[in-house]
Amino acid sequence: MLKINNLNANIEDKSILKDFSLNINPGEVHAIMGPNGSGKSTLSNILSGKKGYEISGEVLFENKNLFELETEERAHKGIFLAFQYPLEIPGVNTNIFLKTSLNAIRKAKGEKELDAIEFLKLVKEKAKELKFDEEKLNRQLNVGFSGGEKKKNEILQMSMLSPKLSILDETDSGLDIDALKVVSDGVNTLRNKDNSFLIITHYQRLLDYIKPDFVHVLMNGKIIKSGGPELALELEKKGYENFN
Amino acid sequence: MTEKIKTDFEKTVKTSAFSEKDVALKEKYLNRFIENGFPSRKLENWKFSDLNQIIKKNIGELSFYNNDSLPNKVDTSIFVEGLEHNKIIFINGRVEKIDFTYEDQDKIKINDDFKFMDEFKNSNSLLSLNNAFANKCYKITLKKGYSMKKPLVIYHTTNEKIKSRNLNLRLEFELEQNSSLRLIDLFKDEAENNFVNIFYNFDLKEDAILKNYKIDKVINQNIRYSYNNIEQGKNSVSETFILSSGSNFSKNEINCNLKGEYSSAFINGIFSLNNEQHHEVRTIINHLIENTKSFQLIKSVLGKNSKSVYQGKIFVDSKAQKTDGYQLSKAILLDETSEFNAKPELEIYADDVKCSHGSASGSLDENSIFYLMSRGLNYQQSKELLINGYLLDVVEKITDSEIKNLIKSMVGISE
Amino acid sequence: MDTREKDIENLKDYKYGFSTDIENIRAPKGLNEDVIKFISNIKKEPKWMLDFRLKSFKRLQNLKEPDWQKPKYPKIDYQDLYYYSAPKSMSDKPKSLDELDPKLLETYKKLGIPLQEQARLNGIAIDAVFDSVSVATTFKDELTKQGIIFCSMSEAIQKHSDLVKKYLGTVIPTTDHFFATLNSAVFTDGSFVYIPEGVRCPMELSTYFRINASQTGQFERTLIIADKGSYVSYLEGCTAPMRDENQLHAANVELIALDDAEIKYSTVQNWYPGDENGKGGIYNFVTKRGLCKGRNSKISWTQVETGSAITWKYPSCILKGDNSIGEFYSIAITNNHQKADTGTKMIHLGKNTKSKIISKGISAGFSDMTYRGLVDINPKAKNSSNYTQCDSLLMGNKCGAHTVPYIKNKNFNSNIAHEATTSKISEEQLHYCQQRGLNPEEAVGLIVNGFCKEVLQQLPMEFAVEAQKLVGISLEGSVG
Repeated sequence: MLKINNLNANIEDKSILKDFSLNINPGEVHAIMGPNGSGKSTLSNILSGKKGYEISGEVLFENKNLFELETEERAHKGIFLAFQYPLEIPGVNTNIFLKTSLNAIRKAKGEKELDAIEFLKLVKEKAKELKFDEEKLNRQLNVGFSGGEKKKNEILQMSMLSPKLSILDETDSGLDIDALKVVSDGVNTLRNKDNSFLIITHYQRLLDYIKPDFVHVLMNGKIIKSGGPELALELEKKGYENFN
Repeated sequence: MTEKIKTDFEKTVKTSAFSEKDVALKEKYLNRFIENGFPSRKLENWKFSDLNQIIKKNIGELSFYNNDSLPNKVDTSIFVEGLEHNKIIFINGRVEKIDFTYEDQDKIKINDDFKFMDEFKNSNSLLSLNNAFANKCYKITLKKGYSMKKPLVIYHTTNEKIKSRNLNLRLEFELEQNSSLRLIDLFKDEAENNFVNIFYNFDLKEDAILKNYKIDKVINQNIRYSYNNIEQGKNSVSETFILSSGSNFSKNEINCNLKGEYSSAFINGIFSLNNEQHHEVRTIINHLIENTKSFQLIKSVLGKNSKSVYQGKIFVDSKAQKTDGYQLSKAILLDETSEFNAKPELEIYADDVKCSHGSASGSLDENSIFYLMSRGLNYQQSKELLINGYLLDVVEKITDSEIKNLIKSMVGISE
Repeated sequence: MDTREKDIENLKDYKYGFSTDIENIRAPKGLNEDVIKFISNIKKEPKWMLDFRLKSFKRLQNLKEPDWQKPKYPKIDYQDLYYYSAPKSMSDKPKSLDELDPKLLETYKKLGIPLQEQARLNGIAIDAVFDSVSVATTFKDELTKQGIIFCSMSEAIQKHSDLVKKYLGTVIPTTDHFFATLNSAVFTDGSFVYIPEGVRCPMELSTYFRINASQTGQFERTLIIADKGSYVSYLEGCTAPMRDENQLHAANVELIALDDAEIKYSTVQNWYPGDENGKGGIYNFVTKRGLCKGRNSKISWTQVETGSAITWKYPSCILKGDNSIGEFYSIAITNNHQKADTGTKMIHLGKNTKSKIISKGISAGFSDMTYRGLVDINPKAKNSSNYTQCDSLLMGNKCGAHTVPYIKNKNFNSNIAHEATTSKISEEQLHYCQQRGLNPEEAVGLIVNGFCKEVLQQLPMEFAVEAQKLVGISLEGSVG
């Protein structure tokens, strides 16, 4: 599904990712763990199409060159990024935002756009599943939401848009144990043989709830070790500093 | 006025030692002033304060001739106590003394070549008046890397020998790279009903720091106009504090050109007015290059028949991305005859900027007074306490702690 | 021969030589007493009306065109304009939509304007009786039942002379500024509304359905009177861009609210802004003023200004009655080479008067936007308050945004609070929206609509939906 070959990324002459390679097949869950500044967020930014990086190398999504696609086209093709810091957009109602986004993606896929009633039915269903306060759907997007609510809102959007590849950028940071459970339930519900996940995290904790197929350790812009779920436990025990 | 001013000009020229060329130039400025007269409300900048009317009403006919040939006696009792400082003393508009005792003499250059200042963008007829009549212009240069050890206090004094006079004062400062100056303007008048017209020009080179504190606190019946032009190079900082409280009428204008990256300007002011006083502060901050910053905080407390005006403009050139500009003006109206006017203005041509302004005016919060009185204070005490707190945060903005404490004790504000 | 024809016949021998072609009645070029008499005459106005016009004209001689505003425009030769011209004959008009600028048609499509409406807006000769006229007639019957008068200004001058005479020029006097006074001298037509005591107008009154739309021309005059305890909501303009060959528009709108009455006046102005290079476009110099004459009265202005090459207007409220309320909600968008200098004046005269100003300005391209406003609380306006918020959004660094508020507080029991900010759409917000599948223009539209939300909420439902679309469309091509 996603093939990253020798990706290099620089920002203002500073090298952040160095010959980074990764292969994700349909249905797989990959976790990337790394300390602060190892290049985790850069990876999610580049995959979602954020500008401002000098890039070389190759990223293929379903055998298409990702770099030829605009951010929204990547979203249309089924890439979803749960932001580490979800943005506040004043004045924009959460429901309206969700509906606009859902219909933009459905339209691109050649599916029928949902009308207001169909949409509301769907969003209420999903909100209930994720224990997301329905009242918040009528508030301005992320404005005045707590950190946990913002993250839950990201997962709600993910489950509404049913993407093929979901990238969770430190979605677990700042979550209490209940919210963590909600987030991982959301991911596990969406998990099937076709959908893949790339979970970017600092801690092992989230991986107790979402069992990854592969764990990769990212240090200084490079994967230094890959393995199964046991690698995360080893990492947690030793700490990043002593891992080498 | 025209006849009078012409004769006064003749007298002035005769009793001074200007070259023929200078006299010709001065005459040009005189004519320019005569043509325009004192600024009136017809001019946008003078909409809230019609100087022409104010002079007419409070002084009537002005005389423009000042005999500067005779020295005046300096009254040492006016000197600020408890603060070691350098001095420039003006008496009736004449520079009586320049004293930089505390400084390294080779680090400071004092030059008295007369130089006209006419290159300001926002000049008005008062600059022409100043050019025509000012008879000395000292330029003080701080050499590269020199921080003045002690503050400089400029004493603006008058004695009862003069009345209905126009005084034109002028100073220039150049702060070379990485130099710094703390400057206090202290206004102390014995004379009444004069119009004082002051122009300062500051040229701040890279990394230079200017702190200017203008203290007009002693009640006096004079009309005062003061214009600061501040040019700022890379990384330079200017801080201006204005206490506007003593004169009958006062207008302070600050024009600041932020020409070097990472330069910043801070302007803080207090109006504390009563009894027919009418004061204005007008600021123009020109952000002309990337990454510059300005901050302004002006607060008024307005008693009976008093009026304060704040006109503040932030201009952001299209080159000046990442500008950070802020201004806030607040006023408390204590009496039904008090009046607050504001024109906070933004003119912005760059998109990646953070600029905002706010203004709030109204009466003292009755709920707060009630709260304090319920704790046993009387009305007057409650009021004073609230006003004190209201003004305190402006004084707290003063970055020099020695001068901050001095001003606190002068104003009678406590923590 | 009816009287009108006779009038024209009489005028034929005038020294300036008036055209007698009934199909194309036109006063000669220029502005003078004879032209004004001609206009008044042809409209069969009573003498007091002619006097009103002549008085204004006399006053105009001593007035100079103001020049303090930010947008400058080439000098207008007032002697080179026609001040009265009957509707053009069918042959002069475009025959079909195919003759119009394809860009304009594209915009119509995006806004979802029906074909017939598109035709009407462009003055295309069509045979079919189109919906709006018949709808208007149906409406009129219902309004008459309640005693509401809603008709053209010309008709009102004829049929409701007393009302017009009593109120016309009481808010915008003949002694006002240059453009207002010019309008008083030469206005051609406009709308007149009177809501009787205690009546709540059952529908939004709208110029959208106005019978006389094609004749109002460049000097429009509108007068709305809400009698004691009445309520009316009035909508002006429409979201479709209107082409007009008159470059100068100097309309006057006067609102009068008596005791306990409320007037809500909403405008969507989307006149031709000129092309991408700033060629052509309307000069929209409008004077709009409301008088809260009675106690507890309320006047609320809402405007969405996206059109015209130059917009220069300040819908204002004079809060004379005690406890009266004035409101101003504004969205102004300029793109390409457009210029707008707009805002409001809130003059507090009565006790306990309140006003609120919410202004959202968006500038893109090479355009220039100024908010200019005055809040003046007079010494007698005890316990009054104003709240002002003006926010500007810039898109790119070739445009300008300016905020020029004048604040005068002369009453110590009164509060004025003013806030203003300037910002841009952040890259991060755009990226977030795009990651959710929106293209850059949709993303900008969404964010800008969020920015304008407080004002859009003030618009009547059907207007609000169109206005939202318009906000997006006006900014097209401004995202890099």
